[in-house]
Amino acid sequence: MPERSVILPNPSGLHARPAKVFAKAAAAAAGEVTVTKDGRQVNAKSVLSVLTLDCHHGDEIVIRVEGDGAEGSLDELVRLVESGLGEEPAT
Amino acid sequence: MSTSLKGTAAAPGAAAAPAFIVEATAVPPESLPATHAGSVDDEVGRLNEALGRAEAELRELAERVAASAGEDEAEIFEAHAEFAADPELASQAKEAIKRGASAERAVSQAFESFRVVLASSQSEYLAARAADLADVRDRVVAILLGKDTGVPVPAERSVIAAFELTPSQTASIPRDLIAAVVTETGSPTSHAAILARSLGIPAVVACHELLDHIEPGVVVAIDGRSGDVTVAPDEFELRAIEERRLREEERRVELTALRDEPGRTGDGHRVELAANLGSPEDLPVAIEAGAEGSGLVRTEFLFIGRRAAPSVDDQVSYYSEVLRAFPGRRVVFRTMDIGADKPLDFAAQPPEENPALGVRGIRLSLLESGLLETQLRALLRAASEVGDGAGRLAIMFPMISTAAEFVRAKEICVAVARGADVDLDGIEIGAMIEVPAAALSAARIAARADFLSIGTNDLLQYLFAADRLNGRVSELADVCEPDVLSLIGGIIRAGHENSAWVGICGESASDPIVAAALVGLGADELSMTRVAIPEVKDTLRRLTVEACRGAVAVAIKEASDGSEARSILAERLDLGAPST
Repeated sequence: MPERSVILPNPSGLHARPAKVFAKAAAAAAGEVTVTKDGRQVNAKSVLSVLTLDCHHGDEIVIRVEGDGAEGSLDELVRLVESGLGEEPAT
Repeated sequence: MSTSLKGTAAAPGAAAAPAFIVEATAVPPESLPATHAGSVDDEVGRLNEALGRAEAELRELAERVAASAGEDEAEIFEAHAEFAADPELASQAKEAIKRGASAERAVSQAFESFRVVLASSQSEYLAARAADLADVRDRVVAILLGKDTGVPVPAERSVIAAFELTPSQTASIPRDLIAAVVTETGSPTSHAAILARSLGIPAVVACHELLDHIEPGVVVAIDGRSGDVTVAPDEFELRAIEERRLREEERRVELTALRDEPGRTGDGHRVELAANLGSPEDLPVAIEAGAEGSGLVRTEFLFIGRRAAPSVDDQVSYYSEVLRAFPGRRVVFRTMDIGADKPLDFAAQPPEENPALGVRGIRLSLLESGLLETQLRALLRAASEVGDGAGRLAIMFPMISTAAEFVRAKEICVAVARGADVDLDGIEIGAMIEVPAAALSAARIAARADFLSIGTNDLLQYLFAADRLNGRVSELADVCEPDVLSLIGGIIRAGHENSAWVGICGESASDPIVAAALVGLGADELSMTRVAIPEVKDTLRRLTVEACRGAVAVAIKEASDGSEARSILAERLDLGAPST
């Protein structure tokens, strides 16, 4: 199953609105989507689960997508994260 | 015509704004039905319907707030709606229903499992979301029970008025919309009052007949220092409260300047002024307030609501964080103080008729000594990991009633240290004095302890047999009752005669007049709500230790009751009008 690791470039990480943006995008994928940080893997479609990972700016996360069109969905999610999830990426 | 009411001052500051009345909604989880009688499908149907309705209500609320207070204020309720719609939450609740749980119980547990993880997070943002989750949970449970879910959010900046206000209700209202808080019941040590102080919101509690006199939308003026509540103030009264507000503002600036000064009386008698801490999010405010360490680090949040006992690793990170926050200062960790009113999933105890008098604090720790051992191991490891540059670890056992109990707890600590090959030199071990029997045995306990810390909240509650959350009796439990002051003086003397230092870790020390009395009685350390530190520090620096001793001696000798003792203290120490 395809997976990719990404470093969170936006100031809030996966908190507040970016967490919501991320979970919403994950929910659009047909198959199961998970996100992993420090070995803890959660359902990426659940904003509550994503919040419990407490991901900050600069943290590395791994996104995994299963099912139909997994590659395409993964590309989209990675692009979304890299673009800052609705925030300006900070350097 | 304005109406003047009088309550108990609970958080300083002044404000005037239209009243917004909050009705009670929360239902305690223990009283929810445990199992369901019908089919799993029917119960899952109830669950889905309730979650859907909660989501719809919250979206509507968000829209309303957006229209009245702006998009930023509304965002929090959008987030609440997302929580109600969360797929993982729903799936956890469904699993529980399949195992036989009622929808109420299932959804309540599912919320709790997320709430606990967020509450224990280091991130202030996530810890705040934990309070949000509790509110959404209460709403969903209320819907399932067919209760009114009321929407406790004002459309404009308001004075929040209620019979009783839960912390989650206080926390659920956006800070910018709260001008002040006033409740008909409660006491300055109730959780909502503590929360108001830590948020810097003026508050008055125990304002009798409040709800008989106010109507939604009528302007109410609150003076959180005198306890005065004025309904429908006239122009003159409004101007007075505005002046009051400005003075409070100036005072805050003045006090900030004292931040890095040590706690002492004007003649140089040292008194450590420390902060009581409840969770990681308390740390920034404590440091900001200039706390000289902590005389009470509560650790319950690490245990409550978890499915499994927290491991050593789980605990070490919090303990280390607190120790690192106070370089060179003493940090007193209280071992878990849990009773049957907050049952643990992993150490189930039989329900009790009267949890305040049951297996709680050290009593539970001695029955479930594995939990205590793990906690002590984590504390000792945190202390050795942070090293010498950080805060100094001290360990305090809660709900000690007898010297024998303290000795047993201390022996467990010694054994854990030996097993971990840790030297206990330099790590102080003490007892919290909050049970009247322990107050009577203070000398016996002090002979075996490095320190005593008087937990005035519970000590008063037990001395007067008066629940501090019950506004109809909480006034009885006045720390300024002459014989209570005398008892505290006796505990402090017993400690000193046995080479133990004695601190105070209750809300009492937050009141400058009481703080001065405690210093007069010989207290070495005062640990209090974080935001009270600057005010107490300033007060003590204007007094001499002799003046404090003299004033409290006269108060004990001459006063016939607590309010007279308070007046004597205020007058002798020139501390202005007594606050109650």
